[in-house]
Amino acid sequence: MTDKAILKTENLRMFFDIRTTALGKGSVRQLKAVNDVSFSIEKGRTFGLVGESGCGKTTVGRAILKLYRATGGRVIYDGTDITDMSERDFFPYRRKMQMIFQDPYTSLDPRQPVSEIIGAPLTLHRLVSNNAERADRVRELIHMVGLKDDHINRYPHEFSGGQRQRIGIARALAMMPEFIVCDEPISALDVSIQAQIINILEEFQERFGFTYLFISHDLSVVRHISHDVGVMYLGSLVEAAAVNELYGNMKHPYTQSLLSAVPIADPAAARGRKRIILEGDVPSPLDPPSGCPFRTRCRNALPVCAQEHPNLTDIGGGHVVACHNMLV
Amino acid sequence: MSGHILEIQNLRTDFSIAGGIVRAVRGIDLFVDRGEFLGVVGESGCGKSVTMLSVMRLLSENATVRADRLAFDGRDLLRLDHKKMRRMLGDEIGMIFQDPMTSLDPLYTIGNQIMEPLKIHRKMSGHEARKRAVEMLDLVGIPSPEQRLKQYPHEFSGGMRQRVMIAIAMSCNPKLLIADEPTTALDVTIQAQILELMKDMQEKFSAATLLITHDLGVIASTCSRVVVMYGGLIMESGDVEDIFYRPAHPYTIGLLSSISDAADTGKKKLSPIPGSPPDLMNPPRGCPFTARCDFAMRICAASRPALAETVPGSGHGVACWLRDTRAKLDGTGVTAR
Repeated sequence: MTDKAILKTENLRMFFDIRTTALGKGSVRQLKAVNDVSFSIEKGRTFGLVGESGCGKTTVGRAILKLYRATGGRVIYDGTDITDMSERDFFPYRRKMQMIFQDPYTSLDPRQPVSEIIGAPLTLHRLVSNNAERADRVRELIHMVGLKDDHINRYPHEFSGGQRQRIGIARALAMMPEFIVCDEPISALDVSIQAQIINILEEFQERFGFTYLFISHDLSVVRHISHDVGVMYLGSLVEAAAVNELYGNMKHPYTQSLLSAVPIADPAAARGRKRIILEGDVPSPLDPPSGCPFRTRCRNALPVCAQEHPNLTDIGGGHVVACHNMLV
Repeated sequence: MSGHILEIQNLRTDFSIAGGIVRAVRGIDLFVDRGEFLGVVGESGCGKSVTMLSVMRLLSENATVRADRLAFDGRDLLRLDHKKMRRMLGDEIGMIFQDPMTSLDPLYTIGNQIMEPLKIHRKMSGHEARKRAVEMLDLVGIPSPEQRLKQYPHEFSGGMRQRVMIAIAMSCNPKLLIADEPTTALDVTIQAQILELMKDMQEKFSAATLLITHDLGVIASTCSRVVVMYGGLIMESGDVEDIFYRPAHPYTIGLLSSISDAADTGKKKLSPIPGSPPDLMNPPRGCPFTARCDFAMRICAASRPALAETVPGSGHGVACWLRDTRAKLDGTGVTAR
């Protein structure tokens, strides 16, 4: 399994220094956004990373693409350790590793027409040799994401949210990447448009063999699109497994309550099911609980949970869980 | 007296903006029964929020609201002056909005904000109002309410702020609670808490609740009746079972088949609705869904279908020419899009 992994993180850590000032006295505190996160993604598959806001899922994606310098741990891409690689050495990887952002309104430069947004990276990475070739390629990409020729010279504000997300996808696609971090690519879109984008992503994976890290808070969408799923809570990966194993045989109490909180669009099923409603809020990552991060809201918490951070343990078939008292 | 707490007939709301007129709501009929939990669902820009803001007269100056009838609890809202309307809001009609950070005033304590409507509408003394505020905070599940009363909104988490909003909305024991996307800004586990609380409050206070949302999952787990809106019009309405198990409008069917299901193990391909919603600056003459509908006929683009019951007396209404026998009789067959 590890041989086929195109991307691997080992104990990835991303800490931020937060400066606080109170009555003229400054102090620096550490916010542990990502703490010892390890997982691997096989080529051509989709790894869904789910969790609530502030759990560190986006930070994982950004640290992998070296948009942040990791505080600790390793990121291994296709057998090469890229964690401390210089920007110059990393340049060819920039092409291979792309990103699709959540907000199609802020991730496209409002002063550039579509031809420039998609075309500039083509020139930068020398994927085209002249302007005519570049224009042809832009047109081809625009068609692939379902837009038309007369869209090429327009500016981002002339498009709807769904169309803008298509432009963002075309921009990533232009690089003919191998690996794409999709950071909440559909959260800002209406339901009827969401399905259009999901289908495009699935279609391209089939055609080009893309590997996706699909970051989302929407467990229904993640179940639909992913082959493997990881669940994060307060900076830690608490459980990961193949999609049907995770949704059918969850072992972590957090995974269970997260799934039971998802509203299902079926009135009878919604009425019939037993919901586990978590009490309270997610603790502040500036002041996380000792031991297991979830213990303050966990119904299965034992005294040991306050003392020791549980390690991710393989319970068979690549299903890993970090819990002292997992569900049976 | 009818069982309707709120009755809307032929509501039309326009906004004049720099480039022209946006026809946000284009003639809708809607009612809310006493004590019922009604969901209004639709995508952004379909007019679901504007409908409720029109009823409450909370729209900006550039809005024009017209209706044949707007009645709350038997009283004609069209004839009510501004002052009387203000007296009704927050008293008989409670409101919860999407973003609890912007709907609470950051400069006043939570206590102040819960006590204000009690003092204004119920003429309570400071002491009485404080007692009631503590009671309300306790009821919505905020621990140590006496201390929390003295705190400001920024000291509360998103879920807690929404609980405070619910406490304010319910404090005067309203007959109707209007909740506009109350859980959209919240995480799923917190959303589950708030929906549970809203159902609980509805039982305790037996207030009619009108929940506006874009999330069909939220509708399925809370509402008993549903109204589906699109392009400023009602496409379909009926019992929650009718809408989810026997949807009759192509738009409702399209919405339901474009969502992925957390309980679904198979990898069925999603069937999205092609295209995007109509531009309401220049709304289509006929059914607003025509351009995206797989079953569109010539008449669909030419004239707007009326909302009619699928089976008389069922309460399941659909606005679609496919249901209208006249559409077939005048020789306009199904044409390709």
